[in-house]
Amino acid sequence: MSNVTPELILLGLVVLTALAFDFTNGFHDTANAMATSIATRALTPKAAVTLSAVLNLVGAFLSVEVALTVTNSVIKIQNADGSPKGEFLAGGGHLLLVILLAGLAGAITWNLLTWLFGLPSSSSHALFGGLIGSTLAAVGPNAVKWIGTGAKLDGVIGKVVLPALFAPVIAGIVAATGTWLVMRLSRTISQRYANAGFKWGQIGTASLVSLSHGTNDAQKTMGVITLALIGAGMWHDTHAIPWEVKVACAIAIALGTFLGGWRIIRTMGKGLVEISPPQGVAAESSSACVILASSQLGFALSTTHVATGSIMGTGLGAPGGKVRWRVAGRMVIAWLITLPCAGAVGALMYLLDPLLGPIWGPIVIFGIMVGLALWMFLHSRRDIVDPHNVNDEWEPTTPAPEKASV
Amino acid sequence: MDQFLAAVDGAWRVLLTCLLLGAGLPSLYTIGLRNLAFADGALNDQVSGGRRGLHRAIAYALFAIVVLAILLGLSYIIAHGFGWSIGFNGIVPTFTKK
Repeated sequence: MSNVTPELILLGLVVLTALAFDFTNGFHDTANAMATSIATRALTPKAAVTLSAVLNLVGAFLSVEVALTVTNSVIKIQNADGSPKGEFLAGGGHLLLVILLAGLAGAITWNLLTWLFGLPSSSSHALFGGLIGSTLAAVGPNAVKWIGTGAKLDGVIGKVVLPALFAPVIAGIVAATGTWLVMRLSRTISQRYANAGFKWGQIGTASLVSLSHGTNDAQKTMGVITLALIGAGMWHDTHAIPWEVKVACAIAIALGTFLGGWRIIRTMGKGLVEISPPQGVAAESSSACVILASSQLGFALSTTHVATGSIMGTGLGAPGGKVRWRVAGRMVIAWLITLPCAGAVGALMYLLDPLLGPIWGPIVIFGIMVGLALWMFLHSRRDIVDPHNVNDEWEPTTPAPEKASV
Repeated sequence: MDQFLAAVDGAWRVLLTCLLLGAGLPSLYTIGLRNLAFADGALNDQVSGGRRGLHRAIAYALFAIVVLAILLGLSYIIAHGFGWSIGFNGIVPTFTKK
């Protein structure tokens, strides 16, 4: 056993924070796969989150590819092989670890705040935003990769901003077309018969979305933790991830998914559009297809943006369907400010380190994050959204998001 | 500008693929469901008669296509996770180690 040193404490805080982020990533994104199935009652709320959690767990273990270079698309703290750059490694990797800690703290804070307001926002954007903010504060604008060169999509513009602009539009068009076709083709089928049939269509497609979420998102946290271990000199292989890290991340994201982000599920399943079973099938098919095809074609899109676009599209494509544009507007605003806000929190958190010194800095960063998380959790108890009221009518009982706004 | 064009290039490919698969497959599924509903006499205002066996066969054939597509999606996720890439030269998918 090595002695407990400030570096070891810092590493421990980074790992804990990364797992906490993975957990928020899980419950923030349950809605992407399961909001439609819950809203159309194809699955009971509990069955839906259980299925999604199991598939996320399986998905996390399915990905053996090493996602160590996860930060490389937006910041320059790693070499091309994923190892941290030399200038960040002084003093047991202190600078690298504090950048990761502050960035993760920014991402978690933003994920919890958007959850409190019931807004689906991209966890990847929050993570990238937090890391960009802390890197800006630590090193300066030159350490951020703002835009890629040539036709290879890279940097903040190519990997974050442009995909976010296209994702909801593509998913929306596909879902609207699918909805129109499915509803037209199923018009003559008796409703009970059709709903039973569409139930299986929804479960199948939602399962694909959950599984692919597990393979993609858990990997990001595994990459960040492994990067921290390398920075602290506790791991040296850039081609493998310690199995303990893999198990811990898989369990964290699955537990988060199982908890279910009911506030977000409610917004996506009931608030945005009133979803019928044929719409559920069309929306979830669109999400599964766009997520898989975009990844295959090298134009990876955020699951959250795709799923939300699909649900909006299904409202537009259904005869007599309507989208609640007030809800949609709030959501789009949340998307626009996710990256800068998570970045601002990440930057402020980082600044505590030079201010308070290498021992108290990280501890206070962690403490403030825990405090904010607790405050938001207590705030959420004022108007609880859980499996029992997640499907209540949206209009007569709107308090959830409205009361919370300032 | 190059980045924007690259994004447009990626976007239209995804859009086209998904109009075909993401909107097309649920439509096939629905046509299958309608044929099965006919075979089971579960259409609104259905009159008796018609070749129910044929419609049931059509329904199962369409469901099989949809199930195949879902299996393809599943194998994509798994292959991707294990560091394999999947190619569609011709129609038959081929797996190669990256």
